[in-house]
Order: sequence, then C-alpha cells, then structure tokens
Amino acid sequence: MTEEERRRAFADAFIRQARSDRNVHRLLLASKDVEACHALHYLQMTCEKLAKAYRLRDTKAPVDDLVRSHAGFAKFVGAYMTVTLKRQLPSNQLAALIRAARKLAREIEKLAPAIDRDVSPVNAEYPWEVDDQVMTPCSYSFPSLELLRQSGGRAFLKLIDAALADFERVTVV
Amino acid sequence: MERDKAEAARELANWHYGVEPDLTQVIRIITDNEDDPGEPIKLLEVNAATFATGSVEPYAFAASASTPFPTVIAEVTPEEFARIEAKEIELPEGWSLTDAHRFPRPHAA
Repeated sequence: MTEEERRRAFADAFIRQARSDRNVHRLLLASKDVEACHALHYLQMTCEKLAKAYRLRDTKAPVDDLVRSHAGFAKFVGAYMTVTLKRQLPSNQLAALIRAARKLAREIEKLAPAIDRDVSPVNAEYPWEVDDQVMTPCSYSFPSLELLRQSGGRAFLKLIDAALADFERVTVV
Repeated sequence: MERDKAEAARELANWHYGVEPDLTQVIRIITDNEDDPGEPIKLLEVNAATFATGSVEPYAFAASASTPFPTVIAEVTPEEFARIEAKEIELPEGWSLTDAHRFPRPHAA
C-alpha cells in the first residue's frame, strides 16, 4: 500500500469501528442493571475513533501518530461544528454550543485510562487510587457525564451521531 | 406507580429547565400503554440552544438513581418544533402531541 492508501484504509476502518462502538453504547445506555462505566467506555471509544477517522482522512498528520494517540476528540468537536453549523447558527450561539460540547468532550477524553492518570485517575476501565482509597469504575457514578441530566448532554449525543453520519460527505480541516 | 412516574417526569423536566437556560418547552408524550411497567418516560424538548438535524431522534436512557424510570428524550429546535406541529417532520413511531402533557418552565423563586 502507498502511504495515502494506508491513510484512507485506516480512516475507513476507524469510522466503521466508531459506528459499531456507538451501536453498543446505545444498547448499554438503555440497558437496565448495567453500570455507567460500561456505556461510558464505549462512548469514549466511539469519540476517539470518530476523531481519528476524520483526522486521518482530512489532515496530513503521520498515520502512525494518529493511530496510536489517544487525545484529539475535544479539538475535533470544535472543528466539526464550525464546518457543519456555521451557516445554520449565529456566531455567538455556535460559540456557546462548541464550548458546551468541548466541556463534555474533555471529560470523555479523560475516561481513557492512558490519559494523564496522575492528574485525572477517574477512568472507565481500571481501578484507581485516591485519598488512600481504591476506587472501582463499576461502583462510580461519573456524575459529570450523566448525559440524561448534564447541560448539553442530549445535544452532545446528537453531535456524535451527526458526525458519524456525515463522514462520507463532510471534510473537516 | 403512575403517580411516581409522573413525578419523576416532572422532576426531570424541571431539572432540564434548570440546566438548559434556552429550553422553551418540555412535552411529555403519553401513549396508550403508559401504565406498562417497562414503558419509558418520553419527553420532547424544544431547545433554542441545540442544532437542527431535520428529524426527531430519540435517545434512550436506562433507569438510574436520579431518574428511576427508563427515559427517552428527543431534542429539537423551535423551528423544528413548528415543523412538527405542521406535520412536516414526523415524530418517532407511536409518539403524538395529542394528549401530550406540557411542563411549563418553573417560575424563579
């Protein structure tokens, strides 16, 4: 494969996997007796792969760097919303929407266990230690990510689904 | 059970009015099987601070400690809601504005 073919192949694979992850997230979010950490784990994976798909296809950043890195969804959110909503919304309203979405996006980025565990130990997969206590994801309520009740929570889910659906027709640079 | 579900729906509507300053309407959709134990609370929310998609997408949430009933919420812009009322945009299957209950924004204390 050429590097461009490799870039395109990874981009297509990441969007396919992101869509599959979102389907599982949807099921877990609506399932009774499933701890919040599991739905959030799939939400974090959806968002990470979604951002990678667009960045792989729409930027010239090194493929291996993008494939292996964890961060980037909060940055993607602002770029995507600007491209897709700037004609629909006045600039001050768009700016407010982007701020709200980025706030949740940053919280979701922090759920990945590889992200800065010394500063943000709370994650959706592995136990962590705080104040001489060992915490378990399945026993933690993740209050800042209760999307049913958080400001902008429902709009955030709309945003993810729109970005997943738009991949074939929207370029984000 | 029905009274508790109605109270949970009211509480959630009021909570959303509190955290979404541009929320203009919260409408509870009532269906024929509303008394079935598994039938979720269904809310259509009109929010001037969301973005339009041209369709009504419901998002399902399992019961939780804060809202002890499964809940389905769809969020639309005021312009989309006007198009829903004009029957230009369809509601999710089984949803109707007939017999719907509208929660007014609580007055500030």
